[in-house]
Amino acid sequence: MLIRPAADDFRTIAAALGRILLVVAGAALFPMAWALLGAEWHPLGSFVLMAGVFAIVGVVLVSVSLQPSRSISADQQHLDWSHGMVVVALTWIVVPLIGSIPLLLSGHYANPLDANFDAMSGLTTTGLALVQDLDHLASSLNFWRHLLHFLGGQGIIIAALVLFAGRGVTTLFAGEGRDDRMLPSVQSTAKAIWAVSLLHLTFGLITLTIVAYAALGFSPARSVFHGLMIFFAAFDTGGFAPQSTSLGYYHSALFEGVTAVLMVAGALSFGLHFRLWNRDARRRRAGIGAQSGGRDDANWWPILRSLEVRSILTTFGITMVLTFFGLAGLGIYTSVSGLSRQGFFQILSAHTGTGFATVPSQELALWGGLAFGGMAIAMALGGMASSTAGGVKAMRVGIVSRAIMDDVKGDLLPEGALVDDSYYQFGRHRLTSEVARSAMIVSLLFVGLFLLGAGVGLAYGVPLQPALFESVSAGASVGLSVGVTSPTMPVVLKITYMAEMLLGRLEFIAVFVLIGFIYSWVRGR
Amino acid sequence: MMLRLVVSFSVALSLLLASPVSAAEVTVLELVADGSRYSDVEVTVTGELIGDYGNRRDGFTWTQLNGDSYTRAPVADGGELVGANVGIGIRVDTELAEGLDPPGRYRTVGPIVVVTGIWKYHDPARQGETYLDVTAIETVVSGRVLHEPPLWWAFAVGLALMAVSGGLWLRYTRRRDAVG
Repeated sequence: MLIRPAADDFRTIAAALGRILLVVAGAALFPMAWALLGAEWHPLGSFVLMAGVFAIVGVVLVSVSLQPSRSISADQQHLDWSHGMVVVALTWIVVPLIGSIPLLLSGHYANPLDANFDAMSGLTTTGLALVQDLDHLASSLNFWRHLLHFLGGQGIIIAALVLFAGRGVTTLFAGEGRDDRMLPSVQSTAKAIWAVSLLHLTFGLITLTIVAYAALGFSPARSVFHGLMIFFAAFDTGGFAPQSTSLGYYHSALFEGVTAVLMVAGALSFGLHFRLWNRDARRRRAGIGAQSGGRDDANWWPILRSLEVRSILTTFGITMVLTFFGLAGLGIYTSVSGLSRQGFFQILSAHTGTGFATVPSQELALWGGLAFGGMAIAMALGGMASSTAGGVKAMRVGIVSRAIMDDVKGDLLPEGALVDDSYYQFGRHRLTSEVARSAMIVSLLFVGLFLLGAGVGLAYGVPLQPALFESVSAGASVGLSVGVTSPTMPVVLKITYMAEMLLGRLEFIAVFVLIGFIYSWVRGR
Repeated sequence: MMLRLVVSFSVALSLLLASPVSAAEVTVLELVADGSRYSDVEVTVTGELIGDYGNRRDGFTWTQLNGDSYTRAPVADGGELVGANVGIGIRVDTELAEGLDPPGRYRTVGPIVVVTGIWKYHDPARQGETYLDVTAIETVVSGRVLHEPPLWWAFAVGLALMAVSGGLWLRYTRRRDAVG
């Protein structure tokens, strides 16, 4: 029997959601300040309106959670698993809705759905865009689009966790598709994630700005602007760019190289970042670097032998070879250097889920056969778990592959022989059937999502290859496009891609729980 | 024999003299959609200079040339929404680029120029980059600055909402403290 949610359930959810929206209202001060400094008065008004709407909705939700007759306020109640999942799913629906206000008022979007599409794409770090005349868009609006990447990539919930400690926060953490608790408490883990992000922001911004100024010859102010936008989009594996020609705008191997490093950093799990940092800190404390002349290669071994790292290196290698052979067969590039640079950047962008391109979508559409296969598989597999990348994720790919191999081994070995069912991931873990089943289910859900999106595309007359490419790109939060995504595409297709972005980014469960919650509210007793 | 030589020489001379104007006139969209067709061909394109002038140490300036309808009327100038921008990268000798109006951005319409150059499609010398290597550039319409009026109503409504939110928050904290 379905149990209808009680008023207390709604109050608990409202309290948590309201507080998160207040955090986002605070984040809206950044584009407001940007518009103010740049004297961009038209966007400034729209940012003030957006901040006001975030604030009023947040405060009203928090206020309704408090009942005078009650002995405790709703926000002091325990946020159980289903509450947390509902809060996460609602956050990722409400924030793009309100966050699309400045985009819509800019006049660069044909309708509210298109503006919401871009806000959803920004927050889910996808990077597909329906903006029109991007090259004349206000810099503060560009900043807001890219800041959405940062908020989504680093986790709005994570930010809220840092600011509002409370009970039941573990479920919020997990609801955003994060399962890497590096430190004993979720709050300290959240703080560590933001510390990692801010350090990368400093490093990435400075490096990109220097390259833009010294190598590309941009003015100092524009160097900072491009550096900041590209950092947000690269480290958060988002894929928005301040110019319509994406990374191809810069015509610089050096700039692409620095961006590539940030893309890889974004696709690494925060757990791995944390281990790498801790390792360096321990080495410094122990003075290992000084004794061994700065080299201690043995410490890399645990990282290189971990299942997740081996999995992502293997799939990256395979998809790169596929794409290179495909491109060579198509004869699109006449030189090895051209094929290597363009092929490598595109495949890295696909596998990390970033979505930057150095070739126009019309040209990407010509990448058929093996090149298409390599790109589509790379996009679908994605980066590491608990990173800003989307897709199936390397850990699941590793677990599923390992489970299949173990099964085959078990069939080949004599009856009664034991198969080592453990795997290494910073310590030995048993590959139980439950772990394998869970990884398999999510992987299959992703495959189903990609096929569903492609099916909708096909129904609207989009040929199979582009329909599949675009669907995988949306579902795996990549953002590469072969031209299907455009303001003139059917409304149902826009909604399908938005749903794919949301489901893929939250890895299904939070959205499923929200649907179940609504269903039990309607049909429960 | 002499006549044949004179005719041949005249034809060759006229072809040589005519070459700058015989560059194929194409649109930016044609170059983007069918880039391989014009590979290493001299083309003439018209469009708006956009983004930045990247003056590099090698003596070249890189920028973007857009050939969409926003070059005539950007959104901020009441231009109709007709889809995404269509642009190509161009490389110009910095000396040729001197004196150009600022490139198009927010509230700025860049200069509309006619450029002639060699279309480098997947140039092996630049690891597969595609761009127009410009040999001649001429401004046909100067750049201009646009004015976009502030959104006063949004500003006022937003401020009002923030004020109400502040009041409600104070009321909430008082009630919460009273509840304990």
